[in-house]
Amino acid sequence: MANDETLAQPGRRDFLTQITAAVGGVGVAAACVPFVASMNPSSDVLAKATTEVDISHIPPDGVHTVPWQGKPVFIFHRTEEQIKQMQASNGVLDPATDKTRVQQPQWLVVVGVCTHMGCVPNKEGPGWVCHCHGSEYDDSGRVIRGPAPKNLEVPPYHFVDDSRIVIGVA
Amino acid sequence: MKRHLLAIFVLFSIQAHAGEEGLSHVQVQTSLAAIQRGAETFMGQCHSCHTLKYMHYGDLKHFGMDQHKVDEWRGDQALDAVISSQMSDEAALQSFAKVPPDLSLMTKAREGGPDYVYSYLLGYYTDKDGMTANHVFPATKMPDILGGSMTSDAAQLEAIRKQAGDIVSFLTWVADPHEQERQRLGYYVLAYLMVLTVLLYLVKNRIWSRLK
Amino acid sequence: MANKIIAWVDRRFPLTSFVKHELTGYPTPRNLSYWWNFGFLAGFVLVLQVVTGIFLAMHYKADVNLSFDSIQHIMRDVNYGWLLRYMHATGASAFFLVIFIHMARTLYYGSYRRPRELLWWTGQGLLILLMATAFMGYLLPWGQMSFWGATVITNLFRATPFVGDQIVIWLRGDFTVGDATLTRFFALHYLFPFLIVGAVVVHLVALHTVKSSNPSGIDLSHKDNIPFHPYFTAKDFYGLGWFLIVYCVFVFFYPDSLMEPANNIPANPMLTPNHIVPEWYFLPFYAILRSVPNMVGGVVAMGLSVMIFAFMPYLDRSRIPGGAHYRPVYRVLVYIFALDMLVLGYVGYTPPTDGTILLGQIAAFVYFMTFLCLPFISKAEENWLLKRGFHPELEALVAAEQSAIALRNGGGVK
Repeated sequence: MANDETLAQPGRRDFLTQITAAVGGVGVAAACVPFVASMNPSSDVLAKATTEVDISHIPPDGVHTVPWQGKPVFIFHRTEEQIKQMQASNGVLDPATDKTRVQQPQWLVVVGVCTHMGCVPNKEGPGWVCHCHGSEYDDSGRVIRGPAPKNLEVPPYHFVDDSRIVIGVA
Repeated sequence: MKRHLLAIFVLFSIQAHAGEEGLSHVQVQTSLAAIQRGAETFMGQCHSCHTLKYMHYGDLKHFGMDQHKVDEWRGDQALDAVISSQMSDEAALQSFAKVPPDLSLMTKAREGGPDYVYSYLLGYYTDKDGMTANHVFPATKMPDILGGSMTSDAAQLEAIRKQAGDIVSFLTWVADPHEQERQRLGYYVLAYLMVLTVLLYLVKNRIWSRLK
Repeated sequence: MANKIIAWVDRRFPLTSFVKHELTGYPTPRNLSYWWNFGFLAGFVLVLQVVTGIFLAMHYKADVNLSFDSIQHIMRDVNYGWLLRYMHATGASAFFLVIFIHMARTLYYGSYRRPRELLWWTGQGLLILLMATAFMGYLLPWGQMSFWGATVITNLFRATPFVGDQIVIWLRGDFTVGDATLTRFFALHYLFPFLIVGAVVVHLVALHTVKSSNPSGIDLSHKDNIPFHPYFTAKDFYGLGWFLIVYCVFVFFYPDSLMEPANNIPANPMLTPNHIVPEWYFLPFYAILRSVPNMVGGVVAMGLSVMIFAFMPYLDRSRIPGGAHYRPVYRVLVYIFALDMLVLGYVGYTPPTDGTILLGQIAAFVYFMTFLCLPFISKAEENWLLKRGFHPELEALVAAEQSAIALRNGGGVK
C-alpha cells in the first residue's frame, strides 16, 4: 500500500466530477423509464379501454351487464315510473340529483362495483343489493343503506346514436 | 488479444451473411407511403390466403395509414381484430394441401430476410414442361401471384419489381413495427453515451493525475 | 445528519470498515491494464441480465401454446418490451464475450497461478453456471432453434452409463422436449442467476483474500499499490462507457444479427430445420462434440474441453513470473490456442462436410494438445529462460523486487 494516505482520500469533489455524476445520474434515471413503463397496461390492453354496446335490445325495466376494463357495467333501461320516482328523490348517504347521474333519463349507466369493498351488487326489486355487506342502492345507483359510503360510479360514456353507447370516453 | 476480438467480429459477419447467395438485394423502404402501398398490394394479393396474426387493423391505422383504406380492408371486422386470411384452413388444405404460412415474421424467419422474400416473389419462371416453378423455393405451392413469369414486357416487369419491393417493405415493418422508433432512440442513446464516456475519461485522468 | 446515521449503522453493522476494507482501502496494483476491467463488466452485465430478465418474466408465459405468442406480445404490445427483450438477448452474448475476454486475460497473464487457484476454480464454476443459464434461457422463446437446440443438448445425457435414456426423460419430464421441459427450464432460468450472484460473492471473497494479480506477475502487495476507490472505480466506469457504446450499437441497430432466423418460426417437433447451430458462444465446444465420431466420446470430449481450464494451475509448471509477454514460448501457445478456438467456432457454425469434419478433428486435437503439452513445454521454457536470461523488463522488476524485500527486512541494498 502506498504510504501516502492522501491517495485514499477522494478529495473535494471538483466540478468535473460533479458534472459527470449528474450526467450519469440522468442516464440512470432515463434508463429506468422503459422498465417502469413496461409495467403500465400494454397497447393491446389499452385497446380494450373502451367498449361499444348495442342497447337497442334491452327492454324497459331490463338490465344489461357488459364488461368494461374488466369491471361489470350495468346498463339499466328505466321505466317512466322509475324515472319519476328517482327524479323525486335526492339520495340518502351521498346526495345527488338524478339528473347528474344520467345523460338520457331512461338509461342509467353505472359501474357495478360496490363502493364499499368492491363486490358486485345484485338487481333486487327496486335498486341493487350488495350481498357482501348488505349495502343497498336505488334505481339511480345511489346508496340508500350503508356500509357503502358512496353512490355507484358513473363511467365516462357517450351515445353514438340512439341505440349504441361507447363506454370509456365521455 | 486484439486479434481475438477482431476475429470474433469476422465470425459475426460470416454468420450475418451466410446463405444469402443467389438472392437479389432489395432496398427496404421505411416511408409511410411505401409501406401503405405494400399494405394495399398485400390486402389485394396476399390477404386472401395469408394471415398476419400478430397485427390488428388498428395497428395499421395507428401507424398513420389512410383511415378509409383501413376501413375498406377490414370490412365488417372490428378495428382491433387480427388480420386473418379470407380463406379457412380447410379450404386452403383442399386447394394447396397445406395451410399458407402466417407472414407476420416472414422477413425475419428466413436466411437473407427481406432479400429472400423479394427474390422469392420474383423467382418464378416457366420451366421446360411449361409449368411455373420458383428457383428460390422450388417446393412452393403458391402460384405466381405477381405474374413475373408470364410477361416479358420491360415496363410490366419493372412494375412487378416495384410491387414486390413494396410488399417486402410492408412485411418488414410488420415483422418489426418498432424498428424506426428503436433506431431513433438509438441515436440519442449513443450520443449520450459518447458524452458520458468522454466525461468519465476526463474524470479518470483527473483522478489518476494525483499519482504523478 | 448523514454522519449520525452512519454512526448508528456502524454500531450495529461494520459498514464503514467494510467500505474501507473492500473499496477505499482495498490495495490494488497500480499497473493494472484495461484487460483488468472485464471482471467489473461481467458483474455489470449480470445485474443487467437479472433486471431485464425480471421485467421480461412479468410478461412471459412458460407454456408451449403461449410462449412464442407471449414473446411477440412483448415485442409489439408491451411498452418498451422490444427494448427489454433485445437488451436481454444481446446481454447474453455480451456476458459471454466479457467472460471470454476475462478468461483470456487470466490465461495470458497467468493469473490462475499460485496463490489464485481457488479464485480460478470459482470462476470455472461460474462459467458452468452461466452456460447452463444461457442454455435454458434459449429454450424459452420456443422457436425452432430453441426446441432443437434443447433436444440435442438434453440428448447429450444419453451418454450417461446404464441410465442414459431414463436421465434424458427425467430431465425433460416428457418423452421429447415439451411443456414440462419448458416450465422447468423457466423455473431454473429464473433461479440460476441468483446462484451466480452467490458464486460471484465467493469469487470476490477469494479475490480480496489473494488480491488482484497484475501484468508483471510479481507480487506487489508491499509497494506500488493504490486504493481501489477512487482510482479503479474511475477506470472501471470509463471502461463501462465503452462497453455500453458497443452494447447499445447492437441493441438498437443490429439486435437480430445475434439471433438465428429459424427462431422466428414456432417450435415444430415434427420438422428439424436444415441447419441447426447453437449460439456463437457454444460453437467451439459444439465443434469438439461433433469431431468425435463416437457419441459417448464426443460428450466426454466436450465436457472435458470446458473443464480442462480448471487444471491450468497444475498444467503450467513454470516458475517464471509474469504473463505470456515475458514467456515467448507460452505466448505462442496462447496465440495458437486463440486461433484454434476461432477455427473451432467456424467449424461449429458450418454444416458438417468431410472437409470441415477433418478440420474440426485437427482443431480439437490441437485444443487438447496445447493443454496436455503445457507441463513439458512450460518446464522446458523455464529452463531455457533461466539459462538465456529473462526479458529485460522482467529482469528490472525482479531486481527492484529483491531490493524492496531487502529494504523491508531492514537490510541495505547490496
